[in-house]
Amino acid sequence: METKADMVVVASSLCKEYRVSEHVVNALKDVNFEVAEGEFVCIYGPSGAGKTTLLNIIGGLDKPTSGKIIVLGHDLLSYDEEFLATFRSTYIGFVFQSYNLISTLTALENVAFPAEIAGFSGRKARQRAEKLLKRVGLSHRVNHFPSQLSGGEQQRVAFARALVNKPLLVLVDEPTGNLDLETGLEVVRVLEKLKSKKYTVIVSTHDERIVQLADRTMRLQNGSITSK
Amino acid sequence: MSSLVFPIKDMVRRRFHTALTIVGLTICVATTTFLVQFGNTVGFEIFLLAQGKLTVGFSYIFTIFIILVSFLTFLACLLITSFLVSMSMSQRVQDIGIMKATGCLTNIVFGYFAAELLIMILLSCVLGTVFGVLTFYASISVLNTFGFSIVDTSLNMWAIFVIFMAFLIAPSLIGGRIVAMWIKVKSTDALSPSFFLVMPSTGKDFISSRLGTELKMAIRNLIRRKSVTFYSTLCLTAVLMLTTFALAGGTIANQTTQSYVRRAIGENIIAVGHPNMTTRYSELLSQFFNPQQLQPFNYTDPSLLVSETNISKISSISGVLKMDARFLFEATVYEVPGWVLADPGPPPIYAPVGKHRSSQALVIGINPETALNEWLVNGRLLNETDSYTAVIGDSLAARIFDSPQAESMRIHKGNFTIVGVCLDTLNKGYIVYVPIKITSELVPQSGCNLLFLKIDPLNRTEIISEIQSETGLSVLELNGILNEHIVFLDKTWSLIMFLPFFSLATAALCLVAYMMLLIAGQKRDFGIMRALGAKPKTVIKIALIEILIVLAVSASIGILGGLFIALRFLILDPVFSLIAFLSIAGWLASALIFLGLASLYPALKIIREPILKAIYYP
Repeated sequence: METKADMVVVASSLCKEYRVSEHVVNALKDVNFEVAEGEFVCIYGPSGAGKTTLLNIIGGLDKPTSGKIIVLGHDLLSYDEEFLATFRSTYIGFVFQSYNLISTLTALENVAFPAEIAGFSGRKARQRAEKLLKRVGLSHRVNHFPSQLSGGEQQRVAFARALVNKPLLVLVDEPTGNLDLETGLEVVRVLEKLKSKKYTVIVSTHDERIVQLADRTMRLQNGSITSK
Repeated sequence: MSSLVFPIKDMVRRRFHTALTIVGLTICVATTTFLVQFGNTVGFEIFLLAQGKLTVGFSYIFTIFIILVSFLTFLACLLITSFLVSMSMSQRVQDIGIMKATGCLTNIVFGYFAAELLIMILLSCVLGTVFGVLTFYASISVLNTFGFSIVDTSLNMWAIFVIFMAFLIAPSLIGGRIVAMWIKVKSTDALSPSFFLVMPSTGKDFISSRLGTELKMAIRNLIRRKSVTFYSTLCLTAVLMLTTFALAGGTIANQTTQSYVRRAIGENIIAVGHPNMTTRYSELLSQFFNPQQLQPFNYTDPSLLVSETNISKISSISGVLKMDARFLFEATVYEVPGWVLADPGPPPIYAPVGKHRSSQALVIGINPETALNEWLVNGRLLNETDSYTAVIGDSLAARIFDSPQAESMRIHKGNFTIVGVCLDTLNKGYIVYVPIKITSELVPQSGCNLLFLKIDPLNRTEIISEIQSETGLSVLELNGILNEHIVFLDKTWSLIMFLPFFSLATAALCLVAYMMLLIAGQKRDFGIMRALGAKPKTVIKIALIEILIVLAVSASIGILGGLFIALRFLILDPVFSLIAFLSIAGWLASALIFLGLASLYPALKIIREPILKAIYYP
């Protein structure tokens, strides 16, 4: 498969197997797709279809059993953990399904954390974080710990954190899965903003409101892409 | 599930934590059992009179040391045991929540975890007792190779039973209390990941935002597990206190006892006399580290006297700096009871003291003006105006006197006032120093039978040759015997100071267990941080800061406390040289580094785990 220069993600023959005791579970089976720069791609499908696994592989958090994954021109399988850490902090913004905020840091510190890792000074990182929290409507909650925030607020903090380093690729895993309809709408609005600002976004979701935002959708079922 | 199958399966499932708890408890029980047995056999008996070594004064220092070490070890081990058990049980709170949520009856849940607790404690107590006894026998055999002759190695079964029960009951009660406490917690609370976490209820906390992220996270982690942090700090403080006491106390006591010996024997001193007399004196000094049955010896044999001619020849040799003439003989010393002031009144009430006891002792007539030694004395030394006045050795004082300076003594027909008790290794401390001028009134002989000379150490060989050629007398170099004393004290102290390292090993386990709990609580956070691009060194840095904070608090209290106990309770006139200070500081620094590195293990383990596992299966 040829790699196009403007492609942000190129996945070729991706397979992922999990071994549970003696059983082998095929989470991904021969997955092939590409995502272009500025594209808003939506992956949907039933629970257990392999959506999270696919996002984890694209984000360099997991490795496929076989196949090839090239993100922003980097063949992720050829890099060690140390490089992948730098790669993630520099290029990837990840919004996890269960928010995954650091429990001992406040909302502001959570958002500033990736910027500090990327080499920004503490002050600069906090300034960026404050700006982003204001943009997601949480300027009044900056000094609150995750346990003191609602689900919707935590999700918005997670979005702010994902964007603090101005990533070239934003991965969003089931952003409204744990939220009620009304709170989910706040998240949808954040995603709309991302789309309007031409971020490259891959989002896995069941939410029709998000699917409608997508430039392109991919249906994943039993580890295989059934429609693009 | 049977009430035994669940606990066993659960322990196997958590095999690392279970092993850590059992090993920690076993070391604690073994250390305490060993120390009490060792102290009982070696500390309280051998160093006293039964095995016939040392003097009572030296025995006292060793005994105090072993008693304090045993007590501190027992205390530290009980704390560590309780801590390990409470941590071990705290890790099961989520399981308790799940079991209750699925409808398991409270008493059954309690039964499962109480059985698990008892199995761990019982196993540790049995293993600890066995290892403690084996270590005791091994140490005795090591001591015997050092020249001791410890025959009575019978175990104090009563002490073993008490230790076994103490370590069985105390942790069981503490652990049981914790299980009972968790049982009462609602399932929903027990299942909440934030159940243990103490976070500020308001929007702001007191940690400055100017601090680095790693430092902030470390401090908040310590605070939110404040109960465990407190107990682990307490345990470490106790162990570091024990280690400091053992190291500093042992080193200072070693140096100080060595200085006592140096003062009693003297440095760069030679004894000159008839060959039989110098040999006898050498044997009398060697009794301290190599006791043996001495043959009867006639000290008053006229051929043993050093003639006036020889004395004047020796005094004219250049390089002889000082001369101390003595007359030695053996006699029975009788205790003459005295009176002590029982109540100052008025009217003052006096009580009799003494029991008419007697003992064989070496009587040494000395000239107080020329005496070369600088004994450690309780009371005072002899002076030139004294006549029927005596300074006695510490062993003699302990054997036949209750209050030496309130009593007096009789040698042949002479009654002597006791003005001081000195620490001297000669004849194992069974000695009496009297003015040489009155010895002729006690035995039918006068003069001196042994000369002590302080010589110029630079011309030692020449001076000794000249003495031998000019007088035909034999020369005994006391430096050689002094060195043997020093080596013996060194070996003994080294062996005893080694004991608390058992506790240090337990402390390392304790810290590792604490760090495991602390790190386990942060596993998800660390996983998220790595997912966001943080490198493993960031995780290690946070863990290191947490360890350093706990160690800094424990070390500052523990080390100061240990030094205070060592200097306050262990020894009189402590000698504290720069080398000793550096050596203690070096050992303590090594101990702290060892503890720090050991406790980094959980953090090193966690950074090797896959990120997703850390996030989704903490």
